[in-house]
Amino acid sequence: MNLLHTCEVTLHSLRTRAIRSVLASLGVVLGVGAVVGMLAVGEGARRESLGRIQSLGVDNLIIRAVRPLATARQDTAGAATASALDAYGFTERDLIHLRTRFANVRQVVPVRNLRKTVYARGRPTDLILAATTPAFLDVTRSRLADPRGRWLSALDGEAMNLVCVLGRTAADRLFGAADPLGEAVSVGGMQFRVVGVVASEASVEMAGGGPINNMVILHLRTAAALFGTILTSPETNRLVQVEADAVYVAVRDTAALPDTAARLRAYLGVTHDQGDCQLLVPYELLEQEKATRRMFTIVTGAIAAISLLVGGIGIMNIMLANIFERTREIGILRALGARRSHILGQFLLESVMLTGLGGLAGIALGAGIAAAVERTAGMKTVIAPDSLLLALAVAVLTGLLFGTYPAWKAASLSPVEALRR
Amino acid sequence: MSLIQLRGISRTYGAGEHLVHALHPSDLDFDAGRFTAIIGASGSGKSTLMNILGLLDPPTTGVYRLEGQDVAHLTDAARSAIRGRKIGIVFQSFNLLPHLDIRENVCIPMRYAGVRKRDMRDRASELLTRLGLGNRLHHRPTQLSGGQCQRVAIARALANDPPVILADEPTGNLDEPTGREVIRIFQELAAAARTIIMITHNPDYETAVQRVIELHDGRVVRA
Repeated sequence: MNLLHTCEVTLHSLRTRAIRSVLASLGVVLGVGAVVGMLAVGEGARRESLGRIQSLGVDNLIIRAVRPLATARQDTAGAATASALDAYGFTERDLIHLRTRFANVRQVVPVRNLRKTVYARGRPTDLILAATTPAFLDVTRSRLADPRGRWLSALDGEAMNLVCVLGRTAADRLFGAADPLGEAVSVGGMQFRVVGVVASEASVEMAGGGPINNMVILHLRTAAALFGTILTSPETNRLVQVEADAVYVAVRDTAALPDTAARLRAYLGVTHDQGDCQLLVPYELLEQEKATRRMFTIVTGAIAAISLLVGGIGIMNIMLANIFERTREIGILRALGARRSHILGQFLLESVMLTGLGGLAGIALGAGIAAAVERTAGMKTVIAPDSLLLALAVAVLTGLLFGTYPAWKAASLSPVEALRR
Repeated sequence: MSLIQLRGISRTYGAGEHLVHALHPSDLDFDAGRFTAIIGASGSGKSTLMNILGLLDPPTTGVYRLEGQDVAHLTDAARSAIRGRKIGIVFQSFNLLPHLDIRENVCIPMRYAGVRKRDMRDRASELLTRLGLGNRLHHRPTQLSGGQCQRVAIARALANDPPVILADEPTGNLDEPTGREVIRIFQELAAAARTIIMITHNPDYETAVQRVIELHDGRVVRA
């Protein structure tokens, strides 16, 4: 018997009971829709956080300066304290210790947020002014966006060259289509010549820090000489001494990274016990992400199982009703030469088509949910093709599973009994 | 040898005290190309006999040879295949499927016999045209009169060109002239060497057939 033709007949049979068919497969539609939507949101979130973590560099450790809680409390209470100086974060002494006592450490790159306004063409901008060492380019996996330009060199620090490098976005915002190379930006009355433009996927995790593309970058030594290590913070009317808002630590041997992280954590526990340094280990975040994802998968799977169970029961119910109603038809078909297997196949096909079409509708619904979430909540969603295939396969399997009993029941009717109805 | 041989065929229902003999052991032969009527009161066993002949219900005992092959004790699948190809069944209430047009209805037995789609549509159109419904191929059964529906059912019974046509009170739901028309079609089919076995209540038709088998209380009283 021709399968295509059978499908045609089955489709026809479903169409004659259109409302019932739609209602019956609604459970599957909603179940598949919810799962596809959830997976899309989950996958979007996963990729976003994965991207963020990877942009930090999986073979890096990052030490971030955190303004200690005690100081913050003093501020809000407005209590008169002797000192208006907030000093916190990783210090020069720590950097030396890190460079000399940690065998696995390859590079130590401090980054400071200078908390100063950058002027370009006489107008203030809200770009981040950062200062760092030449190794920054390497550890953040940044690259020159314009081959004619150059990155900061050791010589810039020694010679106190008044030069800076712009992040790609910063360059666009300051100079638009015009060539930024050779132009100048002004900070604290000093002019800095732009010598290069960098592009990077990474962001610097530090107070007020953000995407490298959004930065104006000076050499750390030049910046320290010009602006000192103590900065003013006009918003809070206090002084801030932070020697490194963030420190990138690149290791030699990635396999030993967990050990190095543990040692560094222990060191910070002793030397920065007031919690003004936070250790960020992208590798650990990646592991956590995996664990979170496992949880998410289990939860999604459970929801999928429950909703498809409910959907499947709905299908079984409706198929039993169909078969009860169509007993005579079954008898007629048997009298005309249909075997048990034909009847079994037809009703199985019918329930599989119900759930399969329900699954397709569910995928459309899920895509709609994902699009709606993306638009309203501004969350990135990704519909992975294999999740669609899985959803469809599970829907079809539900039809097979819950259609088997009704179909078997239909097939086992004797022709005489069936015709008597 | 006869087309159909029944030897010691019986059918009982239930067991023990509730045992009911619907058909006592009987021997019957049906020759090819003859038009036979089976008559008898309600409960005489004629429907039971018809179900056995149509392979819809297996006999409790006995041998049923169709074209020399014992078909009573085959598997369900084998009996279904033989039912579809060798036996055409016409019912009192037509039993057409209301959601299919009449050509699709005629196609059903061919579908199960594995005929190709194009071939079966051609064959169905040809049969319906022969029975005077050539201009109604895409009508639904509900759009036709009772007599027309029964002609569709006859076309369907002929679809796989079976040697035997079983008709279970085919005129029961029709008025007198329409019933006569159906009987005339069966006579023509018998004349063309097809074996027709018809259950009927109507004694008028006894003269229209070549042979009458009468059942009473599950026994053959005239053959």
